[in-house]
Amino acid sequence: MAKQILKAAPDVINKGVVGVEQQLRLERFLTYEAALMDEHEYDRWMDLWIGEDITYWLPCNSDDQDPNAGVAIIYDDRPRLLERMMRLKDKAAHAYRPRARLIRTVTDVVPLAQKGDELEVISNFSLGEIRTGTENIWFGRCHYFLVDTEEGFRIRWKKVLLLNNDEPIPNLTFLV
Amino acid sequence: MSTTKSNIIGTDRDYGALVKEDRVHSSIFTDESIFEDEMERIFHKTWLFALHESEVPKKGDFKLLKLGRFPVIAVRDENEEVQLMINRCRHRGAQVCEATQGNAKSFQCWYHGWTYNTKGDLVGVTGEEAYDKAFDAKEHGLTKVARVDNYRGFIFASHSKEGQSLDDYLGPAKKFIDILVDASPTSEIEVKPGVVSKTMYRGNWKQIGMDGYHPHYVHVSVFKIFSKRESTTGSAVGAIHLEDPFSDSSPSLTRGFPNGHAALDFRFQRLPHAKDNMAELQQSEDGRKYVEDMIAHHGKEHAEELIAWHGDPHLGVFPNLQLIHDHIRVVIPVSVSETQVLMYPVFLKGVGQEINNKRLRAHEAFYGPASNGSPDDAEIFERVQRGLEGDADPWILLGRGMNREETDSDGTVSARISDEITQRAQMQEWKRLMAE
Repeated sequence: MAKQILKAAPDVINKGVVGVEQQLRLERFLTYEAALMDEHEYDRWMDLWIGEDITYWLPCNSDDQDPNAGVAIIYDDRPRLLERMMRLKDKAAHAYRPRARLIRTVTDVVPLAQKGDELEVISNFSLGEIRTGTENIWFGRCHYFLVDTEEGFRIRWKKVLLLNNDEPIPNLTFLV
Repeated sequence: MSTTKSNIIGTDRDYGALVKEDRVHSSIFTDESIFEDEMERIFHKTWLFALHESEVPKKGDFKLLKLGRFPVIAVRDENEEVQLMINRCRHRGAQVCEATQGNAKSFQCWYHGWTYNTKGDLVGVTGEEAYDKAFDAKEHGLTKVARVDNYRGFIFASHSKEGQSLDDYLGPAKKFIDILVDASPTSEIEVKPGVVSKTMYRGNWKQIGMDGYHPHYVHVSVFKIFSKRESTTGSAVGAIHLEDPFSDSSPSLTRGFPNGHAALDFRFQRLPHAKDNMAELQQSEDGRKYVEDMIAHHGKEHAEELIAWHGDPHLGVFPNLQLIHDHIRVVIPVSVSETQVLMYPVFLKGVGQEINNKRLRAHEAFYGPASNGSPDDAEIFERVQRGLEGDADPWILLGRGMNREETDSDGTVSARISDEITQRAQMQEWKRLMAE
């Protein structure tokens, strides 16, 4: 989300949108989300989403590709995301068996704006994947709209910009 | 054999012995020297799909392609003709264009500044006085791809100056391409520049064929989702999933064409659903208009057929094109064990936004690296590629349904949907080209 950071600077860099405590809570939440994805804990990851009107979006070809004008790698509303969960969990979906072994690091967490209980946040990740003897390295930027609830942060909208989203990519058999 | 380039590079292997009627030797999927021969004898010789004309709509619009080993620029020149030129400076060979798509008035080589126009003419040589009078810029334009032809907007190319015409090459497969084009009520489709889902798998390019036998097994998890979807919401992707089109007791057929083309022919299986499809479309404004416009353009009877067929030819055009459901698929061999698959969603012209949106979402759901269909295909191709290395018993069996083939009046051969007639058609063309 380098572009968003540069656009929001210097205010969100110098003053910051949230205090230190809130920043730490946020980073812990995104680390927790990453751990659920690394460990293929699909039900618990799904529990992080809030509301019926959700979007989970991986654009293809360009970061700002309009999903109504062009193809997306993923463009899920809640029903489509629930079907994705069915397949990720299904032992008969052999593309996901054996499961990939994953480690990702989440970095560069910057809150961009706060409106009521909703926080707009960006972050970066690097991810190592090993599956069936092949190692893949993935890089991406995430853009979230999170809702701060009594149970903790919840995801309403998430857009993931894979660095290679305009390149031929192998099976993406896990969550990013 | 004539003394062509392929003989110099090629091996003297007896390709006829590797492809029998009902089986093929697995070395054709794993041997690097056979891959080298394929590039010369198939990809640098026969017709290849290059691009759809709508990808370069305006003068100067260009797109980079790979045709066999050759990097190619496809550009719409100042006379609105689509030129296909080798992306290689005639001076020292650098690519003159690196952007994968865009609009340009000219292409300049960054090595020594030689410049070519959109027709490929060499229009600028830096320090031209250093060349003697014998140097003729006219002889040093970008090299054109030897033959280019167009069927209903689909531009094909061949690196060979001679050979059969595109019309003969496509033959009876043309009427399957028509199924896609005529799904538009103006008989116009659009492939948007740069809108493509690009995937790869670590396996041989020939694995991605037309196979009506695999869905029950490879895609079992998807069938579960479809069955759930129908019982919970009643909204299937389309009538194709309302009854099993992959059952051998269904009217679905596999079909082999001359020159290695092959189709899963669902026409007879889908036709009885025409009324249901029309009724479903009538439920929305865009759908009602679509039905009306289709009937006005194609006539009632043919419009009903076309609507039932969903614009889905399910056709493989040997060696590098497939038209499946809502997309144009291009197969790019990278090495003997790596293949890129480019999937271009097709937009229908002359329809409401809702129709194309629905097609796009249906396409995304099944095709692409994180969809519910393609990954299972890519996974099985990779498993095959790993398994083929163990070639103690090297023969791969493609004889399913040989006892129930029927020859149709147009020269095509059909059998039940799970029969391997499609693979046999592709492999016989492979053998013809490789052994020639």
